[in-house]
Amino acid sequence: MVDAVIEGIRERIAAAIQVNQSVGIQVPENRHGDLLEAIFDSMCRNTHTTWTFLTASKTFDYLTKTFKEGTRQTNIKFIDCISRAAGISEAASNCIYVESPVMLEKIILEILNNFKGMKRDLDKYIVIDSLSALMIYNDPEIIREFMTLVMNKSRSENIHVVSILVEEEMDSSKLIQLNDKIIVLRDSFID
Amino acid sequence: MPIKKDVCSTGIEELDMKMSGGIPLGSTVLVTGCSGSGKTTLCMQFLFNGARKGERGVFFTITEPLFKLTKNLEGFAFYDKKLIESGMVNIIDLRIISERLGLDTEKYTVEDAGALLDILKDIADELDVKRLVMDSITALCYRLQTREMIRDFIFKLGTSLAVMKCTTMLTSEVPPQTFKFSQYEIEEFISDGILFLGDMDRKGDLIRTLQVIKMRGTDHSRTKFALNISAQRGIELIPLLKSTEFETLLKR
Repeated sequence: MVDAVIEGIRERIAAAIQVNQSVGIQVPENRHGDLLEAIFDSMCRNTHTTWTFLTASKTFDYLTKTFKEGTRQTNIKFIDCISRAAGISEAASNCIYVESPVMLEKIILEILNNFKGMKRDLDKYIVIDSLSALMIYNDPEIIREFMTLVMNKSRSENIHVVSILVEEEMDSSKLIQLNDKIIVLRDSFID
Repeated sequence: MPIKKDVCSTGIEELDMKMSGGIPLGSTVLVTGCSGSGKTTLCMQFLFNGARKGERGVFFTITEPLFKLTKNLEGFAFYDKKLIESGMVNIIDLRIISERLGLDTEKYTVEDAGALLDILKDIADELDVKRLVMDSITALCYRLQTREMIRDFIFKLGTSLAVMKCTTMLTSEVPPQTFKFSQYEIEEFISDGILFLGDMDRKGDLIRTLQVIKMRGTDHSRTKFALNISAQRGIELIPLLKSTEFETLLKR
C-alpha cells in the first residue's frame, strides 16, 4: 500500500513537471517522508536528467542514511544550508554546504553554479525542501522574493523547479501560488 | 559577453555587465569598504584576469607583507604563480620601497610622499603596466601628518594617475556599516569611479554587498548586489534580496 502511494506521488510529480516549469507540492508533515522517497525515486530513475536538491529541512547526513543509494547518484548534487548552522562539520564531494539558511543569495548562486556550462536542452531540475523550513529562519517576504528570483533565473536557464511546503509549518497560500502548478497531498489520499 | 574595446574588463562577468562591459580605460576607481568586504580579492582578481589577457599589472601594498598576501591568494582558482614569476603580475611592498629610498616608513613629509609618487610612476612606466592597484590609499595617507598634507598628496596622486596610461584601483578603508566612501573624504574626488563594498546584517549574519556608485563614461547599474567570495570562482554577484534591508536600516 505504502509503495503504491509513493509510486502514485512519483507519477503525479513526473507528469506535472513535464508540462509545467515549476511545481509546488503542499504536504502534511506525516507525509513528508513519503514525498521525499517519491522524489528520490524519480531522481534515481532518471539518470539522464540533472538535479540540484536544496535541503533546509533535513541535514545531508540524515538524507544519506535514509536514502542511501539516492544520495550517491552522479546526476544529483546537494546543497545543505542547515548543517553548518547546526555545527555539523561533515563534508561530502556531492554536497555543497552553505553556512546559514539566511544566506539566500549564496544558495541561489550555488544552485545556478551547479548547472553552469550544461547544455540548454538538457533536462535540469531543482528541488527545494522546503520553503516552510526556510521560513523558520527567514521572514516570509524575503522567502517570497527568494522564490521569485529562483523562478526567474530558472525560467531563463530552462530549469524546472519543484518546491515543497509542509503545511503545518507555515501559512503557505501566498508562496505556493508562485508556482505554475500546485499539487496538494492529503493525509489519507492524493488530492 | 562581447567586450567593448575602450573598456578594461575586470573579468568578473556580472560586474562588467553592471558597467556596460567594464571600467573605461585609464580610469581611477576607488574600491571602498570595511575590513573583510573583499576589496583586496576584487583587486587581485582584476589584475590576474588582466594578466591572462596579456595586460601587465602591478599591486602596491602598504598594509600586508608580500608573503601573507600571496599565501591568501593561493587558495583562489584565479591565482597563477606563473603570472607572478613571468612578471605579468607584480606585487610590490611600498614599505620596502620607502626603506630603500631612506624614508621613514611610518611618517611621511610632503617631500617624502612626492618622492614616493615619482617612484610609483617610474615603476608603472618601466613595467609598462596596463592595470595598477594601490592597497590602500587610506594606509598611505595615514602616514601623512596633517589634513592639508593628505589633501595635497591625494590631488598630486590624482594628477599622476591621470597621465599614466593604465586603469587604476585604489582601495579605501571605511568603518563597518557606514555609507561613507573614504576616510578623508577627498579620495572620491580624484576618482572616476567608486565601487562600494559593504555588509548587510540579516538576522545576525553578514551578507557582503557591492554597489557601483559612480563610473564616469558608462551607463552603469546603481543596484545593490550580494557579493560572494568563493575559492573556485573568486568574486560573484547576484541581485540582493531587499526585503530585509529597510528593517536593517531602521535598526541602525
